[in-house]
Amino acid sequence: MKMYQLGVLSFFCFIALSQSERLHEQIYSSIEGGAACFRRLNGTHQAGCSSTDKGAVGPVLMIKEINDALWLTQNGTAGPYIAVVSTALFHDIIEEFMNNPTNVAGILVYEDAYQITSAFTHDSKCPNEYSSGPGSTCSSSEPEGFVWNEKGTDLMRRDIPFPMFFLPESRIEEIKKIEECYQRYNLDRNAHSGKPLCSVQLHSFMFAAVDTVVCLRRSASSAILTPTKVCDPLGDQNVYYPLFSRAKENKEAKRPVILVTARIDTASLFDGISPGAASSVVGMVTLLNTAEVLRSMIPMSKTYGTNVIFTLLNGEAFDYIGSQKVAYDISRGAWPPIMPLSPTDIPLHIELGQIGGALLSHRDEESWPLYAFTPNLSNNVDKVSEFVNALSSDLKQYNMSLVMTATDNIPPSSLHSFRRILKNVTESGSLTEILIADHNAQFTNMFYNSALDDYTKIGFDYHNITVGSDGIFLQNDEILAKGIMNATEIQVKISRLATSLARTLYKKITDEEYTGANQASAHLVDEMMYCFLRSQMCRLLLAADYGNSGGTENLPQKPTPLYVGVSAYSLTAPVFAGHMLALFTGMHFPELNRTTCDRIDKSEFSYLYLKGWNNTGVCIQTTMNFSQAISPAFVERDYDYASGFYSTWTESVWQTMWARVFVAASGNGALAAFIAGAVATAIAAFLTFWIQRNAQRIFINAPTGSLVSTDATTGILRTVNC
Amino acid sequence: MDLTRLPNDKKLQLCRWYFKVGCLFLPFVWAVNAVWFFKEAFMKPPYDEQKQIKKYVMMSGVGALAWGVALAAWVAVFQLQRVSWGEAGDSLSFIVPLGRA
Repeated sequence: MKMYQLGVLSFFCFIALSQSERLHEQIYSSIEGGAACFRRLNGTHQAGCSSTDKGAVGPVLMIKEINDALWLTQNGTAGPYIAVVSTALFHDIIEEFMNNPTNVAGILVYEDAYQITSAFTHDSKCPNEYSSGPGSTCSSSEPEGFVWNEKGTDLMRRDIPFPMFFLPESRIEEIKKIEECYQRYNLDRNAHSGKPLCSVQLHSFMFAAVDTVVCLRRSASSAILTPTKVCDPLGDQNVYYPLFSRAKENKEAKRPVILVTARIDTASLFDGISPGAASSVVGMVTLLNTAEVLRSMIPMSKTYGTNVIFTLLNGEAFDYIGSQKVAYDISRGAWPPIMPLSPTDIPLHIELGQIGGALLSHRDEESWPLYAFTPNLSNNVDKVSEFVNALSSDLKQYNMSLVMTATDNIPPSSLHSFRRILKNVTESGSLTEILIADHNAQFTNMFYNSALDDYTKIGFDYHNITVGSDGIFLQNDEILAKGIMNATEIQVKISRLATSLARTLYKKITDEEYTGANQASAHLVDEMMYCFLRSQMCRLLLAADYGNSGGTENLPQKPTPLYVGVSAYSLTAPVFAGHMLALFTGMHFPELNRTTCDRIDKSEFSYLYLKGWNNTGVCIQTTMNFSQAISPAFVERDYDYASGFYSTWTESVWQTMWARVFVAASGNGALAAFIAGAVATAIAAFLTFWIQRNAQRIFINAPTGSLVSTDATTGILRTVNC
Repeated sequence: MDLTRLPNDKKLQLCRWYFKVGCLFLPFVWAVNAVWFFKEAFMKPPYDEQKQIKKYVMMSGVGALAWGVALAAWVAVFQLQRVSWGEAGDSLSFIVPLGRA
């Protein structure tokens, strides 16, 4: 072949290849920025969504009102359909789809700022119902029963028969694209069959199935062809910070410890979107600020008879993973790892529960109604009311209220784990438990553990006040006097709650009233909330990052993800919270460099080398540490996963998640092509037969008879066979 | 190999040999034997070794059939019952399916 021929040939090959690439792009338009619903499993069930391994395909149906959903399930002719529905309408139509899923291929849920979503929560009506302590009356199965989370759809714990994707407000242009395509092809509903239709394909194939027992077994088995891991246990790290170092205490006579806890994590049905503003962030930020201000109130030179351990629990959304592990370890004498506590060493446990749900409805006033729940025990009423009264009267000066409820029906919180696992001490009353929440009979947060529980749901406005290189934050008096913030803002309210709690704890520790002027700073609250709820690219995390890590420019400008994730991978939220605690409560040694800092080995402290306020690196001596937050079910040998005593949640493995929109042909074309092919084959076969029959008439010197019957061929065949 | 060109004693030897090899849990060899020697055993005019060949062909055929039935039954039972066997079902599987029971 001549050179120019080769050139022409390769040119045409190139054209053909690049054309096919573009053809693919012309057919499909990818839907970017979606978050898929995925599968989790517990000891007895699978929950969440999965598509088939090819993805779910169906024509689009925009659900604008409830009747559209009814039409889809009952009259749709070209189904199964992909329903595209806004979060505002989602709660009204989801039960219809769950009950009649045959005509539903999948759901694309989008957030639309122009439609008000009144509720969006996919946790149970009774969150963590099956891990509740004795005396809980919340029942999600009784139709008229008492429930905490009235709007809960329980989708996070149900097996959803179709895939679902969520598109946040920032990706609204994708919905516009789908809507445009829908208007063009699918608008005439009664003429759907046999027409090309605007379709969506959702791909979120999950590897695990059935339950935790099966998926862990399949992950562990060493099959030759499929050594695939199909699921991982949920879990991460708890953060704990003893106010005073406990390492050198007398083992026989340990100081009693007040446990102050809050949860780090939240959850949502969709992968990667779990802001948790009212579900967990307000509680966590309050705890961090309480620790910071209490540390500044207490002179470290003196020794006191009581210690405080501030603990942030992780995985609480999934049957209290973190608190079950802590309570389990305390019962075995294994927590904290240094100088473990025994159950009798803890006289008081205070949990900052779900606070923040009532903030938005009280955004125009200074008040913030808080409630203290405590188990109904006769022998420690004095102890509880003494504490609650002290806190309540301190809050009163800020126009905030705290009402005590003595009941065994405690809202979802780590108290349930302590009441189940450390039964002896909680029932005898030697361990007094108090839960602080801002709801009473029902959740005030309508977005509990959901993708929409973001900063707007608590009315958080970031003020972006400069922090000096010394890390000094403006005091509340100054902030209010200068009018930087006003007293109705949530930053001020949270800082005041932290101050009051710190003062009350101060009194418990020192037996004296606090007379100093130290207060939690609304400025610091502002910064912390911004880091957790708006952007990880924030001042506090820049200062609290590891000193040896590269530029912090790589921190994403997204809220900190607060889903607990799988225990095999450590996520950022507990590290952020722990480092903030260290930064604000630890001793700073700016003169020490990294190598010296890493080399210090004292049993009572840990040393962290963080970036610090002026970004030059600072060595911090702290009592803060991390402990494992993984369910005891995965720790205990031969645990019966179906027993339901400990959390058994695992998360399925998946390979890819994607969604795309395209116009699907009606199928007539494919049918015509098939028929044409079949006819052509038949004609060719007949023609061949006829030509062979009449070969002697057509060709001159054609051989006679069949091809294989000649002597030569038989000879060849014979040799091959023998 | 062309059986028609083989002397009768060699045919018998070959048929017996195939039958014996099939006894080593190789039902497919039995099946081949049964098909291959079917004409020799039942359709050719009688000769001395034919009776024995007939015997081996019958035994091979019945054996292969029994194997076939047993295998088909096992496949059916396994496919229908694997899920309900739970752990045993997974251990018996060479490829464990993803995303379903």
